[in-house]
Amino acid sequence: MKLFNKTDNLAALDGRKRFSLDKALTITTFILLIIIVVIPVFMIIFNTFFEKATTGRWNFDLSLFKTQLSEEKNLSAMWNTVKIAVFTTIFGTIAGVFYAWLLGRSDIPAKGLMKALFNIPYMFPPFLGAMAWDMLLNGRGGYFNKFLMTTFGLETAPFNINSIWGIVFVEVSYYFPFVFMQVVAALEKMDPTLEECARIAGAKQSTVIWRITLPLTKPAISAGALLILTTSLAHFGVPSIIGYSQGIYTLPTRIYAVIYNAGGSFEGIREGAALSVLLVAVVSAALILQNKILSSGSYDIIKGKSTRPTLIKLRGAKYPLLIFCILTLVIIVVVPLVMIVLVSFLKAYGLPLKLENFSFIQYQRVFKGNATIQSIKNSLFASITAGVVCMLLGTLVAYVVQKIKPKNRGALEFMSMLPYAIPGTVLSIGVILAWQGSILGINLYNTIWIIIVAYLARYLSFSMKTSSAALLQVSSSLEEAARACGASHTESLADITLPLIRPAMVSGFFLIFLPAMREVTTSILLYGPKTRTLGVQIYGLRDAGMIPQAAALATVAIGIIIILNTVVNYIVKDRKGV
Amino acid sequence: MAEVKFENITATYGKKTVLKDFSLTVNSNEILCLVGPSGCGKTTLVRCLLGLMKPDSGSITVGDTVLFDAKKRINVPAEKRNIGIVFQDYAVWPHMTVLENVSYPLKKRRVPKEEIRERAMRALELVHMETYANHLPMQLSGGQQQRVAIARALVVDSEILVMDEPITNLDAKLREEMLLEIRMIQSRLKSTVLYITHDQQSALQLCDKMAIMELDGSLCQYGNDEDIILRPANRFTFEFIGVSNMIPVVLKNKKIHLDCGIDAALDVEVPADVDFSVKTDMGVRMNDVVFDAKSPVKAKVVSKVFLGSEYNYFIKLGDKEIRVQQSMLDAKLSGVPDDGAEVGIRFVNPRFYPAKKEVSGEAV
Repeated sequence: MKLFNKTDNLAALDGRKRFSLDKALTITTFILLIIIVVIPVFMIIFNTFFEKATTGRWNFDLSLFKTQLSEEKNLSAMWNTVKIAVFTTIFGTIAGVFYAWLLGRSDIPAKGLMKALFNIPYMFPPFLGAMAWDMLLNGRGGYFNKFLMTTFGLETAPFNINSIWGIVFVEVSYYFPFVFMQVVAALEKMDPTLEECARIAGAKQSTVIWRITLPLTKPAISAGALLILTTSLAHFGVPSIIGYSQGIYTLPTRIYAVIYNAGGSFEGIREGAALSVLLVAVVSAALILQNKILSSGSYDIIKGKSTRPTLIKLRGAKYPLLIFCILTLVIIVVVPLVMIVLVSFLKAYGLPLKLENFSFIQYQRVFKGNATIQSIKNSLFASITAGVVCMLLGTLVAYVVQKIKPKNRGALEFMSMLPYAIPGTVLSIGVILAWQGSILGINLYNTIWIIIVAYLARYLSFSMKTSSAALLQVSSSLEEAARACGASHTESLADITLPLIRPAMVSGFFLIFLPAMREVTTSILLYGPKTRTLGVQIYGLRDAGMIPQAAALATVAIGIIIILNTVVNYIVKDRKGV
Repeated sequence: MAEVKFENITATYGKKTVLKDFSLTVNSNEILCLVGPSGCGKTTLVRCLLGLMKPDSGSITVGDTVLFDAKKRINVPAEKRNIGIVFQDYAVWPHMTVLENVSYPLKKRRVPKEEIRERAMRALELVHMETYANHLPMQLSGGQQQRVAIARALVVDSEILVMDEPITNLDAKLREEMLLEIRMIQSRLKSTVLYITHDQQSALQLCDKMAIMELDGSLCQYGNDEDIILRPANRFTFEFIGVSNMIPVVLKNKKIHLDCGIDAALDVEVPADVDFSVKTDMGVRMNDVVFDAKSPVKAKVVSKVFLGSEYNYFIKLGDKEIRVQQSMLDAKLSGVPDDGAEVGIRFVNPRFYPAKKEVSGEAV
């Protein structure tokens, strides 16, 4: 295999030396990506379409896929998945753009603070939000419903969160920041003269927003919307918590149910794999469609240097809009948070929220035995390990793709971005299929390592993206100057390139560590008796009907996330000077 | 101290051949300006010299040391070549202070600590940056970063200094200053300098010798600046260096006639070595066109620009617009024609080159 452009390879120039650093890095990258990403994906497809005959040979077999596809339940799950994802994307994008514009470009008071506060929904684990809303607005006995019924003497509950729209509402609440954050960043970087020119040319303010500002932020909007779409399609927690009681299934929850019902048998996993292929098909279709609709033309007029854009005066609407923003935050952050904390102090679920019903007993129960402590330890271990490995591996891939540029770097990039389009649930199944003994007899099932491997596959693209962006900023002449100054290839990497991208690597780590700490989607299919993660533990408690205990552990989890986040902000701020 | 010799270098990027059998010698203690249009392979040559790119064939020697030889399979790694380099984008490391930047080459050569500081400071003094030793690059202006890059290239007393378009990003005034400074530093250190640029003005100002590269990567002329300006080797050099007018001409009755919408016999000698059977252009520099009321060749002034020490004219000659430069002295002597005025012109020191193919195709 000829990997390199003969002349563009620094290390090949190291005289007659056989060993070449670049070549070694490239080959390592290929091998690791194949192990982590390609094998699980391959296993899913293989197991869906091939069946082991009694003779021991694998035969091509479409029957499994056909039966899965013809089953009513699966089709309705698919339809639900699409419906939820589409509506979540539409409403989430509208909300994200609206708040981004309001906080980025208007003269609304307390902007800095509001911007910071609007990042909170992003950190809030959606499935905890779903739990809280289920407590509040459950069609049967949600606390807020009960309150309304007694106050106004209603016969039936006025709200029912356990519906498609309930799921959409909760997902929009926690996913709109994807668009919000991207668009705010784009608005801040946008060259204000572009808008000023339009004004000078005689356009009205509204025309400027519609014809100049929005089109220029389109790449940011489209990137954010894509993230909402793929995340929602693959999301397990919210539809599972809200939809389960009403028999509303989406593909991820359906996959979980199939595997769970089969008790982890191979047949069950195969059925799950077949469903996964369906889910991947839906996600791919969504990606292609989104690509067609949104990415017609991109703009490079957004400059890297920050300028001070002119703010749009809201005049009389200033304070009403501020109150509207605050109200939004109260509804999507404060109310669920308070609800979870309150419920966690209840002696039993369903008791009225009165002081005499409060106690610490749920916390004592949760921490009795070591299951909870174990789950926190598991989550910390898995997240930190995955974060560190992804950070290093992501940087390695990014370096190979951006700097070494081997001939087939397109394949590399594709491999590392593949999990981005593949839902966590699906990856989990692939990981199960790959690492339960079918390859080289390696069996990781029921160990924490299978969760870590799944995390690696799922989050690698995150760290690769941040490292790539950072490496693109590092002009290759910096490394070449070091070579000319007498540094070997390895030394120039260590002295110049790595220090320059270190901040990006650190933020890449936290980009993985934080979501991994609180996720359920992947680990719900992979946990074993001793390897429950924090998310799985909360989910399990709630599933077993111990809602106040689940709330207590959720409170602890939120506490951990807040502490970690503060630490992150502190560290990242500290490194800005580098 | 040492001369740099490129011999028969061939270099390719993938399938694209950038340099083919390229040979060039940079004399010891001289500044050689390598001039050529963007994309002609100047930077490729530098990368080969530095060891950042491997030529397919040929050899590169510095003094008695062979850095690269395809036949003998010698290829000294970049870090052992001991060549000072200033990149176009400076390549000053943003995470190190000025002093750390300049110390780095010494550190890599395992120079004792006390000596590192002393030598780095001396290099900084050379470029007048000693007061900025503890600044970070982003606190410096472009010109200052440039000087740091030069100091870093000078600090190890390399015999060879390579500068790849080092002043392109500076403003005009600073450019002038830096050129003077580079010249002074070179004469003080007696190093051999390979200076790469696409800007012939700065090349003229700086060089001892000049080498002109064509777009296809071949060397089309080598010599001192007077050679290049007064005796351009071919049409490319002539057109590339300075503003030139190319006017189609034909040979009739052993006289050269204009062939650009008007037909007028020219009062110039017919060169023996030019083949007039093919379409031919006459090349004249803008200051080699002289106003002369007695000349039978008439043209019309379209517009003029006063540039302080000279006038620049756009003049319509037949269907061709040519540019004429008139010094203040000439302006005093022969007067300044008004816009729209008819003038007689004479051509001094013309050269004749075969017309470009695409041009002849368009000709009416």
